[in-house]
Amino acid sequence: MRCDLKEAQERAKKVRMVVHDIHGVLTPNVVYCDQEGNRRYEFWHMDGFGDLSLSANGIIPIFLDSTSVDEEGLYRARELKLEKYYYKVAPQDKAKKLEEIKEEYKVSDEEICYVGCELYDLPFMKKVGFAVATADAPEEVKEVAHYISSLPGGRGVMRELCEFILRAKGVWEEWVDKVTKMGYK
Amino acid sequence: MQHIKIKEGAIVREGAIEKAKKVRFVVIDIHGVLTDNTLYYTHDGIKSERFSLKDRLGFRLLNEAGIRTAFLTSKISRADQAVGKIYGVPEEFLWGSSAKMALTSEMQQKYGFTDEEMAYIGDEMIDLGMMRRAGLSIAPADGSPEARQIADYVTSVGGGMGVVREVAEFILRAQGKWEEIISKVF
Repeated sequence: MRCDLKEAQERAKKVRMVVHDIHGVLTPNVVYCDQEGNRRYEFWHMDGFGDLSLSANGIIPIFLDSTSVDEEGLYRARELKLEKYYYKVAPQDKAKKLEEIKEEYKVSDEEICYVGCELYDLPFMKKVGFAVATADAPEEVKEVAHYISSLPGGRGVMRELCEFILRAKGVWEEWVDKVTKMGYK
Repeated sequence: MQHIKIKEGAIVREGAIEKAKKVRFVVIDIHGVLTDNTLYYTHDGIKSERFSLKDRLGFRLLNEAGIRTAFLTSKISRADQAVGKIYGVPEEFLWGSSAKMALTSEMQQKYGFTDEEMAYIGDEMIDLGMMRRAGLSIAPADGSPEARQIADYVTSVGGGMGVVREVAEFILRAQGKWEEIISKVF
């Protein structure tokens, strides 16, 4: 870990919204195509726990999807009952959409955590208070990150990040205890 | 510590064999234990998961020995029902609730077993409560550090790679029933 952990924790403390795309973060950026033309995408069970835990602790998880090929991002958000935080946009409209979301939820750049995995994430990562890169992101992306996850996309990045943020805020132990006894409600 | 044959690469903590002797009920978390955590979505929204067929023998051996097995997960999906059929876990032992602790107490009342007689296999921090409570706690090789740390037994294989197969052998060997069950089944 070459990031300054203390600094990352300070930044994480202020986070009120976590923004991520689908492929490369929630998935390993892979599509399986079978001989009938069916397509299949790979997600990670415990990343759902990550986004749900953020949401339950008052941190808004935004699925800003500009990478879905079919509707896989929507299916995932829907399954987690986080559909209200799901936005599908063309890549060129992503910045504009994020401005609208900030307005709607009254959050500032400083309060946003953005999770990136590719070059197209750089403008967002440079702007926000807490920038996170996946373990398998290119060098340029890791360079601007305040925190680099130990896991690659589709293998628990959101699970790891959720723990990091909730620990920084000092609510992790209590949350795990609660969810263990009572579930997500 | 009593000596029984242990699978290479497994971690057996002190007292685990004595604890395993008392087990009558094995409760199993699905994601990360019976699967490697991966979820697949097709382009038309069908979700699927990958389970190990090695575990089928594990369930069978436990059941042959009169040890009951149950799934415990936040929500039982149709995939879980299908794999329950393959593994021979009856519908009534497919337990779905995100409040795992409370549901377990309810099931203990209903089926008459104690914490001490329960083994629990879990891989995550949210399983820690169940793992502390169970007489015998088990984590897969790729479980979270916290789960592996408190487990009485850490399997040599990761989730979805035959965890129950390995656990069944450990419990039955500890109980001295392994040879008998194997000769009965094969």
